[in-house]
Amino acid sequence: MLVDFELIKRAQAGDDAAFSEIVLAYRKRILGTIARLIARPEDVEDVAQEVFLRLYFSLEQLRTAEVFEPWLYRLTVNAGYDYLRKQKRRMESRMSDLSEQQVMMADAAAGGRVDLEDQQQARTRELVDSLLDSVSEADRILLTLKEVEGLSLKELEKVYQVNENALKVRLFRARQRVLKAFGANRKNPHPKDAAKAEI
Amino acid sequence: MSSLNSHPDESALDLLFRAYRDACPAPEPSPQFMPRLWQRIEARQRYSSFFGRVARRFVTAGVALSLGMALYLAVPTSYSSLFTSESYVEALAGGRAADALDLELLHSDPFPVD
Repeated sequence: MLVDFELIKRAQAGDDAAFSEIVLAYRKRILGTIARLIARPEDVEDVAQEVFLRLYFSLEQLRTAEVFEPWLYRLTVNAGYDYLRKQKRRMESRMSDLSEQQVMMADAAAGGRVDLEDQQQARTRELVDSLLDSVSEADRILLTLKEVEGLSLKELEKVYQVNENALKVRLFRARQRVLKAFGANRKNPHPKDAAKAEI
Repeated sequence: MSSLNSHPDESALDLLFRAYRDACPAPEPSPQFMPRLWQRIEARQRYSSFFGRVARRFVTAGVALSLGMALYLAVPTSYSSLFTSESYVEALAGGRAADALDLELLHSDPFPVD
């Protein structure tokens, strides 16, 4: 826990200063989780604010301060899920729809300003994002929390409020789908280029 | 769970996920993070209090309308009951008497021949 229970209780009682302290303590962690969940740096802060906004208006429903962190994770997961669903609705691949980071990468790559490590990291992000696109938004979030964020099954159980076996089954299936996409990607890393070459 | 899998791509995928974590560091919050958050909270509070007021007015208007309707339905009943004090049995008896009178008139000859 990054904050003590007393602070949470004060925030529950309507103390805005206590709530601000909670936000300051958790915002970096939440920003990191959201950055990995949604993979669009320009919207990360907006989604994080949505998480804390939901926290502010639902804090009084929290029965015990001990479950605060899983509760906050659940709000994060829900906000990320809502964002990904909205994004899916407008999936047209236009230049204006590219993330700022992608545009910056494209510009910088064109100017030869990106060093090798940045290029490698950009490729990793692109590959994992495309692999996670092969599963549903719900599975994407679950896999990210487990495999990237490193949450244990016990922690996920508290976040999702489902039993461990159900989580294991869901994780296994999601992982199998990602593995299938990964295998296909390894055999043919650039299907669009290959298609162009055939033409 | 990963250790249970024997697929050759499994370990490569685990490595890839780890590399992804390193490639996506937590972004630094902008200086506007807290002010914007409080703006959004206050905007939501205003919005919900506005709808709360509207909802309360609707409820008040609904209650007033119901009372008005109840009064409207109750008043004519009590008003007419002031004039009709006879019971149902009495009214029925009165009706029979009227029927009997009609029958009598029907059987009587309107133009008796002496």
